[in-house]
Amino acid sequence: MRIGLLTEGGYPYVTGEARLWCDRLVRGLDRHEFDIFALSRSAHQEEQGWIQLPPQVHRVRTAPLWTAEDDGVVYGRRARRRFAAHWGELAAAVCAEGGEAADRFASGLYGLADLEREEGGLAVALRSEAAVDALEKACRAPGAPRAAREARVADLLTVTGLIERTLRPLSLDWYEEVEGGLGAVDLCHAASGGAAALPGLLAKHFFGVPLLVTEYGVQLRAHYLGAAGALSAPARALLAGFHGRLAEEVYRQAALITPGNTHARRWQERCGADKAKLRTVYPGMDSSRFAEIGESAEPADPDTLVWVGRIEPSKDLIALLHAFAEIRKEEPKVRLRIVGAPAEGAEAATYLAHCKALAAQLFPDEAEGVHAVGDNPVSFEEIGSPEVPELADAYGAGGVVVLSSVVEGFPISLVEAMFCGRATVSTDVGAVVEVIGGTGLVVPPRNPRALADACLALLRDPERRDRLGAAARARALELFTVDQNIAAFRSIYLEIVSHHPVRRDALDESGEPQPFANPAEVYVPGRWTAPGAEERSGAGERPAGSGPAWAAAGAARTATGAAVDVAAAADGDAGAEDEPVGVGAAGEGER
Amino acid sequence: MSDIRTTPPGSAEETVVPDAPTTPESPGSWDTRSEEVLAEAALTAASDADAAADLRGAGTPGAGAPGAGTSGAASPGDGSPGVAAPAGAAPRSGAGASRAGDVPAVKGKTRKPGARRGAVDPVKALMHRHRELCEEAVDPLEIAAGLEAHGVTDRTAARFRHRDVFSLAEEMYARASRDEETAPVLAPPAPVAGPQVPVGWAAFAMLPGAVCAMAVAGLDLTSGTAKLVAGLLGALAVGIALKVALRQGPLRVYGRQVPATRMWTGILLTYALLGEGLLDAILSGGPDGPWALHTAPVLGLALAVAPAAWCARVFAVQSARTLAASRGLDDFAAAVRPLLGGVFAVFLAVLTGLLLATGAVLGEGTRGIGPALALGALLLLARLLEVHGFPDAGALLLGAACAGETLALATALGGRLPGFGFLSAPVDSVVAAWGPGAVPVLVCGGAAVVLLAHSMRRLTRASAHAEAVR
Repeated sequence: MRIGLLTEGGYPYVTGEARLWCDRLVRGLDRHEFDIFALSRSAHQEEQGWIQLPPQVHRVRTAPLWTAEDDGVVYGRRARRRFAAHWGELAAAVCAEGGEAADRFASGLYGLADLEREEGGLAVALRSEAAVDALEKACRAPGAPRAAREARVADLLTVTGLIERTLRPLSLDWYEEVEGGLGAVDLCHAASGGAAALPGLLAKHFFGVPLLVTEYGVQLRAHYLGAAGALSAPARALLAGFHGRLAEEVYRQAALITPGNTHARRWQERCGADKAKLRTVYPGMDSSRFAEIGESAEPADPDTLVWVGRIEPSKDLIALLHAFAEIRKEEPKVRLRIVGAPAEGAEAATYLAHCKALAAQLFPDEAEGVHAVGDNPVSFEEIGSPEVPELADAYGAGGVVVLSSVVEGFPISLVEAMFCGRATVSTDVGAVVEVIGGTGLVVPPRNPRALADACLALLRDPERRDRLGAAARARALELFTVDQNIAAFRSIYLEIVSHHPVRRDALDESGEPQPFANPAEVYVPGRWTAPGAEERSGAGERPAGSGPAWAAAGAARTATGAAVDVAAAADGDAGAEDEPVGVGAAGEGER
Repeated sequence: MSDIRTTPPGSAEETVVPDAPTTPESPGSWDTRSEEVLAEAALTAASDADAAADLRGAGTPGAGAPGAGTSGAASPGDGSPGVAAPAGAAPRSGAGASRAGDVPAVKGKTRKPGARRGAVDPVKALMHRHRELCEEAVDPLEIAAGLEAHGVTDRTAARFRHRDVFSLAEEMYARASRDEETAPVLAPPAPVAGPQVPVGWAAFAMLPGAVCAMAVAGLDLTSGTAKLVAGLLGALAVGIALKVALRQGPLRVYGRQVPATRMWTGILLTYALLGEGLLDAILSGGPDGPWALHTAPVLGLALAVAPAAWCARVFAVQSARTLAASRGLDDFAAAVRPLLGGVFAVFLAVLTGLLLATGAVLGEGTRGIGPALALGALLLLARLLEVHGFPDAGALLLGAACAGETLALATALGGRLPGFGFLSAPVDSVVAAWGPGAVPVLVCGGAAVVLLAHSMRRLTRASAHAEAVR
């Protein structure tokens, strides 16, 4: 089948966020065709280019989200009135609450999409005074949140600007049914929520293409964290309303939603996703790199703790160093290796320097004897250095892997440690508990004492360490491999396409719709391959859930009748009555 | 997996069950007697200052409130319950006490001397710790996201007797907004700097004036062919200086531009320099040889680029401030209208002064002031509209003014044809009544008045100043 993969600021750009799993997914599902519809976040990202794409990617269409194209369309009076009505609906829904708001949001959004498809000029209209004016009216309407009621003119301008930015996918030329458009795919797979899912919503609205939404981090939550501090309270309230409604609509229209972990799942449920649509699909990770370490029989250095990750304040290395000080009191031989580079930005570099200073302060250099050169029991290393040439070596270097974060999404370094068969001690943040599932120790965050106790317990008990390591590796191989991820998506694709087939009108060579090209029974649920067989088997054999028995009987009759009619129209093809599909094809061919 | 389940007897691991977030079974710290004990505890104890004391008192096993040890590693439904117990066990002894303010670590009635403070209301302590988040939040989900970013998980929320972070956040939001209603905090609008301009834009704005003064001096000092060359070079230099000045300051246009505007401006300036003399010459039967140049108005206009840039800057900054302070679109329009009028009037006054000065210095008197004033007003308004995103009206009216002036010249010339004397009649009568300067005054002045009316509608809209906040 043909899958339209929708991304925003990710695949296939080199600097994209979720490019790795998208790449694995596309490479893993080589029996399907992929059309990629990518929104780029910045000019810089576009300059960096794409990653190498496999042959199953047939087409890549990109569009910038960071710049608006002024198409020069100026609305006439009717278009202006339509815009005012739809934008008014949308603004009112942003400022309101409850189930009715969701419907109003949807009607406003699709109204704007229809208008844009017919007339264009949405970007200009959203920057016009009329848009700001409508938003102001919505803010002053009764029932608006208190923060929104205090909105000043500057807030209104900021909000309309940001909403216009988010709605830019409405203005794209992707929505056409011809080859290469979103109407020609069988399934839209949005790699994240928010703006990336918008083209999927419109494809569903215009062509009935089913939508699958995968979210490893919930966009709405990212929005809340990003907006805090950057915007004023009224602007945040309005934008929260907008993004909340958008998320709700995306979840409502999606055929299935696949959160990447339980944390994302809880947020999605909270934002109105139907539980029946949710399928947790853990991200797949390449386990082959760690196979050698994971399967080797030789025991790891029992006196070494390893921390691996990107160094930044949320990793709380300070707590780790304090915990290590406690450990050293009990077990003076233990060493700590911190492997990783600082994250981007000056803050992370400062933090690393701070950590190094603290380590030097807490632990003086030590030497074997009077004549040996000493070094610090805490070492800061980077991947690629002579001691740690590969990532797997970092995990292989120690008997116990520690994770001390105070904030964590899906802890990748923990999964890697599990692949390496290492016993782990981690803090209870993010998806840690869900990932580790009992195959490692978990302590509260910001509790160096507890961290130290847990590490000591493992350092002193090699048997338990091995046991936990083996269990962790087994668990990781079962849940977090690329194969499991791809298999899950393969079956989800099939499930969606079997439940939501796209119904397309047949077109002739000139692109004109061709009436009666598809026989009527195409639209009848259930089996209808052979009229005779249908009557013989009756309704009993029909797949469950495809309709009640009385409807089935009627449907079968209709199907048979239609088949005969079409067969007659097609000038009595011999095999026509057995194969209604063939009749359609034959009729089309003759015309 | 089986060997994992058989833990050695007597170890701490056996005695512990994984801590799922459940309702506490024992009254814990929250029966009536303990509340009496706790009532004395000051809320201020929740500060981070005694975090060190936390750790000292933390070693006591079982010091945590029910459900406090978050060491239980088993998440429900992960399919490996057998592994959970040993995993969760070891850190338990140390994990009982949690971070400052998370939970009162007082067990039952006995409050140990080393044990820490307890708050009567644990959620209140949490709110105090995250008070900024609670005060600023616009809905419960924002608090939930913020709490999670600070490491609060569902298991932490269970200690506050909430099902998950969301319901904890809801309580915090509800209580915070109730507090707020009693003492409303209105954040003052942040100081607004206006749109960004490059450093030293004022110097750039004076460049056209300086270059034009040099060009005029060059014209004065030369004669014959050299004068022609000096004039052409001077015009070129002034053009370049004008372009540089307009690109480096408040008059820079970031949005859409209409290319014709540049041409119309050039023609209008050329008319200011040459047109009046030409018209005079045509009407008096010429031109016979080179006619008089009017350099004073052009020099005055070039010098006026600096005040024009300053006016544009003042308008942008003041309107951005008004924008930040205005509660509604109507308020904004009402506040900006006098601002625009004032800025425009100041520009006209300064331009008049400059034109008087250049006229006196170059000995051309006051006759060129009227046309130059009208042209300056027209150019400023067109540029302001262009800067704020409405380039079309300016281009249209500049074009119309050009057409008017060219038409005046053409009809004056056309009137010489036999039988077409009526063509030059209007220009003739105007010039006879008010002098040759009346034509550009009428044309440019008319266009400027129309443009002023248009600006008063367009530039007082909030959407014209959107770039200031984006």
